[in-house]
Amino acid sequence: MELDLDESSLAIGRIERALSRIEKALADRESRPAPAPAPSETASQSALKAEVAAVIGELDRLINEAKHG
Amino acid sequence: MADVKLQIAGRPYDVHCADGQEERLHQLAGIVDTKARTIQGGTEVRQLLFTALLLADEAHEARAKAEKAEPQSDSLRAAVALAESREAAARDALREAEAREQALRAELDAARQASAPPPRNAHDRALLQIAERIEALADRAERMP
Repeated sequence: MELDLDESSLAIGRIERALSRIEKALADRESRPAPAPAPSETASQSALKAEVAAVIGELDRLINEAKHG
Repeated sequence: MADVKLQIAGRPYDVHCADGQEERLHQLAGIVDTKARTIQGGTEVRQLLFTALLLADEAHEARAKAEKAEPQSDSLRAAVALAESREAAARDALREAEAREQALRAELDAARQASAPPPRNAHDRALLQIAERIEALADRAERMP
């Protein structure tokens, strides 16, 4: 993977920390006894999940591109 | 003209030669003297006759050897000519191969440049953009009720 170590390692560190924050936020939500979510909240969660999946897909594509040139 | 005194088989002979030829004449007389000394007995004329016959025999053999060697020289010359023509052909082939190699190198370089990966900075920028987007998503996830 040909990346500039200074720039890329900084970016990867930020990505890892942000993913941990998302995982922790989702785990906290699940452990809370939540009231039945409003329809707008459910839509917001779905949108968030879709966006996270899209960004992770883009990250995979970028890593593959860097690996295979 | 130069006067030269020669000694052949112990007898003196006065001869003349062109100026500058004295040394050569002494060398030739030395050859005749050596041969004449191998012939013992007989009169002076007979001794010189046999010397002349022996030297004529040697000259004849030497000429025959030279003639026999000529065909070998011809075949050697032919072999050299063949080797030279082969060398010229090999040089031509080498030049062609070098030209082909250069053309292939140029093609290879062009192909490499055509398939060159995007600059590293593009990957870095994309990674930074993804980091920013994931951080924004993390903010949203943390703010969710």
